[in-house]
Amino acid sequence: MANIDDLVTALAQDAAAVKPAPHPFLLCFQWMGAAAVYLALALAISGPRPDLLDRFHHTWFAAEIAALLGVFIVTSLSTALLAFPDLHQKRRLAFAPVAAFALFLGVMFLAWRADNPPSPLPVHSFECTLSIALMTLLPAAWAFYSLRKFASTHYRLAGSAALLSAFSVGALWLRLHEDTNSIAHLVEWHYLPMLVIGVAGLWLGKALLKW
Amino acid sequence: MTEQNDNLETLMRRSLAGDQRAYAALLHETTRLLRPFLAKRMSIASEVDDLMQEILLSIHKARHTYDGNRPYRPWVYAIARFRLQDHLRVHYSDQLRHALDFDELEEYLLDPVTESLMSYESISGEVDKLPEKQAMILRFLHQDGYTAREVAEKTGMTESAVKVAAHRAYKVLRKKLER
Repeated sequence: MANIDDLVTALAQDAAAVKPAPHPFLLCFQWMGAAAVYLALALAISGPRPDLLDRFHHTWFAAEIAALLGVFIVTSLSTALLAFPDLHQKRRLAFAPVAAFALFLGVMFLAWRADNPPSPLPVHSFECTLSIALMTLLPAAWAFYSLRKFASTHYRLAGSAALLSAFSVGALWLRLHEDTNSIAHLVEWHYLPMLVIGVAGLWLGKALLKW
Repeated sequence: MTEQNDNLETLMRRSLAGDQRAYAALLHETTRLLRPFLAKRMSIASEVDDLMQEILLSIHKARHTYDGNRPYRPWVYAIARFRLQDHLRVHYSDQLRHALDFDELEEYLLDPVTESLMSYESISGEVDKLPEKQAMILRFLHQDGYTAREVAEKTGMTESAVKVAAHRAYKVLRKKLER
């Protein structure tokens, strides 16, 4: 007990005024704003797909983009909440990505069924995963850098959500840039790698966010 | 209103503003709050104190993640649970590291523990450096010449536990002497 009293005294003497961390919603808006600028810049440099406006008239393309956008928003929000030890006491919202991914999966399944006869497969394959991964690097680095300033008690999940959020930015960019309509190609080379990314995020979270 | 009567949220808000007395009061209150929670989950009192210190340090480190506008208890319990899990993880992985393989153990339990190719006197210096319990068992076995069963009776341990402890001590000694 004497040790604890000494520690309390030492900590109290060390306690200067502290600026509380921003609200997770604000944090999430900041991340999303930065990601939106990054996405806009990337599209401005690489150029959107030529039939982009026309594609938005196709129900399943619009639904896919909306669902992907949903994944991005929800994973960003989850990352921000998971940065706090108590998830800012919004546990349900923190685990909302599960519902967002379920919805995304449903949309992709329906889009695959509607892709009949199947659109031709593009000649390239893994290049898409590689491009998305490269686009992911900067937002992921920024997310992890920000997260390290907080105190996550769910560091594995926070790492996974952060990486998935960053990856969804990359996936959105490629979907708006690349002139491909083959759902089989999209699932295989754009979206299935998300599983790997999610697992890699768990590992990275443990390595970088443990405090 | 005195500091003792202030609620934890108010104390934390004042702490964040740099009030050191409020912070000390908050940490004392937090210690009182968490002690039963930890004591219920841990059997050794000294470990509760060690863990409590870790938790207080974590609270200090993470205090910027509390804004004073939401309940304090869920925040502090989240940190306490996190540190407790960490502590238990290390504790159990440590136990696993020191656990013996069952095959190895079975083989070993059949061996006589008092037989040794090396004289006890030549390694007694190394034996003294072992943990107290292991050193005592080796002294009984090799210096005083007791059997494992007799050592078990003298120390209140089971015969198997004596053999296991002796085996662990031999392993440590072997490693030291091989260097």
